[in-house]
Amino acid sequence: MNKDLEKLLFNPIRLKIISFLISVDKSSFKSLSKISGATKGNLSIQIKKLNEAGYIKIKKSFNNNYPNTTCSITIKGKNSFKLFFKELQLYKNNQR
Amino acid sequence: MKSKEQINIINEAINKAKVDLKPLGFNFIFWGIFITIMCIIHLSFPAFIQQTKFSAVIFWVVLPLVGMVYTTNYNIKIGIKKGYETHIGRVIKIVWMVFGLSWILVIIPVSIINNQNPVQNIVLLLALTVFTTGLILKSKSVIVGGVILFLLFYSIEFYPLVNTLVYTIIAQIFGLLLPGLVLYNQKDE
Repeated sequence: MNKDLEKLLFNPIRLKIISFLISVDKSSFKSLSKISGATKGNLSIQIKKLNEAGYIKIKKSFNNNYPNTTCSITIKGKNSFKLFFKELQLYKNNQR
Repeated sequence: MKSKEQINIINEAINKAKVDLKPLGFNFIFWGIFITIMCIIHLSFPAFIQQTKFSAVIFWVVLPLVGMVYTTNYNIKIGIKKGYETHIGRVIKIVWMVFGLSWILVIIPVSIINNQNPVQNIVLLLALTVFTTGLILKSKSVIVGGVILFLLFYSIEFYPLVNTLVYTIIAQIFGLLLPGLVLYNQKDE
């Protein structure tokens, strides 16, 4: 298994973020906060970590003078997550 | 965290990414009603709408453009409120953008240059777009709406004597309004 991703996704908030982003094209910061249940500060830290690892892209813009942060998954993130999920299922099946 | 817990978290997060069909249903209903009303106005006051060579063109281009501005604004607001865009939502958005651009940049200019009625070409373009939307959404009602529009396109070819405005009203009711009502009342997927 991809050890870097495995380590990153051991955190449930980061796992929720990347799982949600794989099923949508893009998501706002507000929406990610709602889905992950994380506070704004905590979410900022978690998405920064995923961004630094190259798994997600962060786009910052302004909407009616309000800051607007949008996140989307990268190709690296998609491929790594698919592999991670496949191996997770294999591991779960082997445990039975 | 155990692998079972991780899989549960993944499933929960993925299930939260729902395709919201209500805004798309609203767009279908809006255009169905809007164009039908325009047709009724044109049928009721033909002398006024067709008083000059370009008055009918202005009527049929300017008002739909106003409608386009309104629905684009509505869709942007809904997108911001929702906070995320699904893959299916993005594909449908692109399909309808192609429809809008083809209508403005191809069908209307070609119709003006060739002095030909654009209704048949618009019905074909609408049929293709509605049918594609139905296939993407796997929505039977939208697919049927697209098929009815295809049939209307061929009807205009074989029965050209019937007023094209009547064809347009039928196209709007069966191609947009009824599928729109179904989409609007459908549960999120």
